[in-house]
Amino acid sequence: MKTVDIIERIEGEAKLHLTWKNKRVEEAQIAFLNFRGFEYILQNKPILDALVYTPRICGICGQAHLYATVSAIENIYTQAKMPLEITPKAKSLRELGLIIEILQSHIKWFYMFIMPDMNQHSSLFDEKFVPLKGKSWLKAQEASSNIIKALATFAGQWPHTSYMIPGGVVSDPTHMDMIFVENYIDKTIVYFEEEIVGLSLEKYLSFSSYKDLGFINADLKLFIEMSFEQGFENIGKSYNRFLSISDDLGFVQGKIKHKNVMKINLNKIEENADFTFDAEITKQKKEKYTWSKNVKYDQQFYETGPLARALIQNRKFIKAIHKKYSDSVFTRVMARMDEIAFLLQKSKTILGSITISEASFIEPKLQLKQLDSGFGVGVIEATRGSLKHEVVIKNGIIQRYDVITPTVWNLGSGTALEYGVAQKAIIGTKSLHEATIVLRSFDVCSVCTTH
Amino acid sequence: MRNKPKIVWLQALTCNGNTQSFLSSNHARFEDFLNAFELVYHPSLTHNISLEDVLTSDFLIDFLLIEGAISSNTLFFSLNNESAKNILQQLAKRSLYIVSVGSCASYGGIHAKFEKNSDIHGVEKSLENIKCLSAHKIINLTGCPVHPEWILQTLFTLKSKGTIVLDEKNRPVELYSPLAHHGCVRNEYFEWKVEAHTFGLKEGCLFYDQGCRGPMTHSSCNKILWNDISSKTRVGMPCIGCTEFDFPRENLFETKKNIGIPAEVPLGISKRAYLSLTGVAKTFKIERLNKKIIDENS
Repeated sequence: MKTVDIIERIEGEAKLHLTWKNKRVEEAQIAFLNFRGFEYILQNKPILDALVYTPRICGICGQAHLYATVSAIENIYTQAKMPLEITPKAKSLRELGLIIEILQSHIKWFYMFIMPDMNQHSSLFDEKFVPLKGKSWLKAQEASSNIIKALATFAGQWPHTSYMIPGGVVSDPTHMDMIFVENYIDKTIVYFEEEIVGLSLEKYLSFSSYKDLGFINADLKLFIEMSFEQGFENIGKSYNRFLSISDDLGFVQGKIKHKNVMKINLNKIEENADFTFDAEITKQKKEKYTWSKNVKYDQQFYETGPLARALIQNRKFIKAIHKKYSDSVFTRVMARMDEIAFLLQKSKTILGSITISEASFIEPKLQLKQLDSGFGVGVIEATRGSLKHEVVIKNGIIQRYDVITPTVWNLGSGTALEYGVAQKAIIGTKSLHEATIVLRSFDVCSVCTTH
Repeated sequence: MRNKPKIVWLQALTCNGNTQSFLSSNHARFEDFLNAFELVYHPSLTHNISLEDVLTSDFLIDFLLIEGAISSNTLFFSLNNESAKNILQQLAKRSLYIVSVGSCASYGGIHAKFEKNSDIHGVEKSLENIKCLSAHKIINLTGCPVHPEWILQTLFTLKSKGTIVLDEKNRPVELYSPLAHHGCVRNEYFEWKVEAHTFGLKEGCLFYDQGCRGPMTHSSCNKILWNDISSKTRVGMPCIGCTEFDFPRENLFETKKNIGIPAEVPLGISKRAYLSLTGVAKTFKIERLNKKIIDENS
């Protein structure tokens, strides 16, 4: 039996083609049918304009795209042997901006994208998770809109600010501005403690065994109970291979292929378009079914995102949960929620380290239009995982711009010989509900996937 | 209008930035919205209702909100197996009011720059003279993204008055008659023609070198602050003119000049008037405006 379902609430839509055998999914295809052509749009544009274009690839992770663009442009200078100096303050303000974006996204994802489905299929159904009405849903809107105020303080607005520019940041916040930012981080810590885990942040961060799951209260406790009730600790397993592309925000660049964390070489990242539609729309081959590409590291699929980051940087609680429940839906969700705690703590460290008297911006001595040609790569850990931008310029004009988003790593179309990460995770599920939850566990962003 | 008007929010070629902006509303205002309107369908927010459910039902839509540009090309873009244009046209016929949320819905925006798909337009053009039931003009809320409060004030005004006064580009006059420049904390530097020497400063106006389009852009960004807190120009990012129909222009971070003079002068000001005033202002060297506001190193 074959079924085709349109999945919504994934920042756009996707079509899930499933082949069933003995009431289990035997084959799965995830088709993303919408293409906006950002890599084409960027061609022939002045390089600095990319700072305005790329955040608009995605309304929910625009700061990650901005950071990747600014890193790629700064890498052009480095490769041309004229590296720019970025003050620690400017770097901190960039990292804080990205952290805040990740925090608000994780909060929204949990309450708006995964809990409504978990809740509906549970005997523990709770009104508080009902979209637009439930108390917890509404508090998530409040918490996410509050933390963004911290970002707006030094970035002007969110979404779609371009406050990072090659050489630093455009803003020059005061001491009081940064105290205000800290107030909102603290407010979010209280929210996390009261609404999400029902524990102090300190106590939560001390967890190191899967048995500590039993100490969690509040909304995450309900997720844990619903997840065990529905068996999600055994569902959604994929290759169990992980990759994290950047050292920023306290994460660690590396990969786990078997057990140990190994270094990575960015040159081994390769895209593939076996099943991807051709932008020359009239000449499609029949095996093409999606706009999403594939990306592999050293010819293998790797999962990226919060779980990958937690394991590669050796965060004890998630490592223990992963040891017990492997790369299941349950582990993936716990890793994403655990990252909120990690990043809240990290943002406090960053705030404590900022020296306000440092320059926000040091003007590059050379303008890129004075450079005959240039090439740069920027890598960032975004909300959903590893993000890579690559750009070639000539006299300051973009010749080629390539974007590999986290969702391409996780939701690629697979190759003729191998399933993509999410594809493999869906195979073996016993219902559309299970398959959908597996898909959601990767925090699908349709607009980023195809861009 | 009935107690709780029904809203359908359609997403077409979009980055979802307007949805994210809307979700970033001040919480009390977001609750006001939920208390006053019924959000029947939104692809990211509502549960247990699909776009297909909306299309196969026949309830009256009080407000059809569209986010994103519209295309008839299903090879590049389809929703529920149909073209965005087709869906828009079906829904428009059963809607009392139509609101384009954001620059992409208003005129195509950044998405219209994708040339391989030659059919990417705003809502108004894509409707091909199909009118909504109230026969009210389509309301364009430009901006990339739109400020959430602009959406709320438009909806509450329509709910209460049944009509809203629009400018020649069909944007609500009250929201789009101010310029982004109005209320910018750098205004005094503009008055006295003190430029920002570089990025990353509290001091100086970004109009002269950094490409700021505040004096040429209709928006209330510095009147109704972003995230209740600030704005791009306040923190030091030039206005990129994202509420105007020519967004995105080229070279957004530099001011185009002819013989050292900005090629474009503030809206409605003659070049002669601008140059005379500049000439006078520049003859004064005002110490206070050429100093750091706060000197951290003193």
